[in-house]
Amino acid sequence: MTAALLFSTLMPDETKALAKGLRRRDPELLDRLIEQYQYRLFRYLVYITGNPERAQDFFQETWIRVLERGHQYDGKSKFEPWLFSIARHLVIDWQRSKKKQSLDALTNPDDGAPMEFAADGPSPLHLVLSHESDATVHASLKQLPPAYREVLLLRFQEEMGLAEIASVLSAPISTVKSRLYRALKDLRGLLSGETT
Amino acid sequence: MNEGPHARAERLIAEASVEGISAGEQEWLRRHLAECAACATNAGSTEEAIRSLRGLSVPLPRALASQTQMRVRLRAQQLQSYEPRWRMVWAACLVSWAFGAASAPYVWHGLEWLGHRMNLPNLVWQMGFGLWWALPAVVTAVILLITQSGPVREEEL
Repeated sequence: MTAALLFSTLMPDETKALAKGLRRRDPELLDRLIEQYQYRLFRYLVYITGNPERAQDFFQETWIRVLERGHQYDGKSKFEPWLFSIARHLVIDWQRSKKKQSLDALTNPDDGAPMEFAADGPSPLHLVLSHESDATVHASLKQLPPAYREVLLLRFQEEMGLAEIASVLSAPISTVKSRLYRALKDLRGLLSGETT
Repeated sequence: MNEGPHARAERLIAEASVEGISAGEQEWLRRHLAECAACATNAGSTEEAIRSLRGLSVPLPRALASQTQMRVRLRAQQLQSYEPRWRMVWAACLVSWAFGAASAPYVWHGLEWLGHRMNLPNLVWQMGFGLWWALPAVVTAVILLITQSGPVREEEL
């Protein structure tokens, strides 16, 4: 599936045509984009919200935002980071409205606890991921702060470069790198049974 | 700063997966891992963690795309219906600005004359001139507020 998703990444000429289409609010184009990016965007939202139901709401809101602000996409950069950053900002706005403290969960992982998991029983993220075989990875991911899960997903599932991740996060590349190193180290530790 | 071989290996293992390392560094790391079991284990667990991450998948809700497409189309229609109104607002702003700019000297002299005739302090009639200029902006703001409150009411239904 990952290989197929990689091939679906848009080429530079396509991004310009895409920008034109978004400016026109071309409904056919939007339909195609929703189909094309549904899995990747939904997966990203599940990772950062930790809740599939909420991820569905954000998924729909993200595409509404793409429709409304399509003229802001210049077509010079890749579409994926732009799309993901819209989704991310929606989640951050929601967190901000929910409570101030939880904003840190995505912006500053060292200060905040993971935002969404219930104290008892499996988390929504765990439940949704439990359809797959590797329960250890799920349990380990669950213990990582959302900001770490986010960079791991963008780097190793989305295969984004550091600059692209930085544009999604609106953060310097140095921050992206340090989060990735820390996230990878924590995940490795969790997978091998160490405590972080 | 002196870096021991194990610390260097640990750094390179992480860098290789995050940002990539040079051919020389790859060769050094390969040789070190062949000799050092602890670092080889470290490299193996890093590789395994990344492989596990890549292997994860999330089940996609079946109707998510079609529901989203429908919502987006409805919103697109809604936005399209507002476009003529927006064009009217912009046209009205343009005309208002043009008339305002053309008539500004006359309004200034008129207010000055009125101010002197009514023995008003200069500041008062000058503020009146400022308000006269702000009037189109106030009207436009009211129109925008009315326009923006429309979709909320429709969604509530």
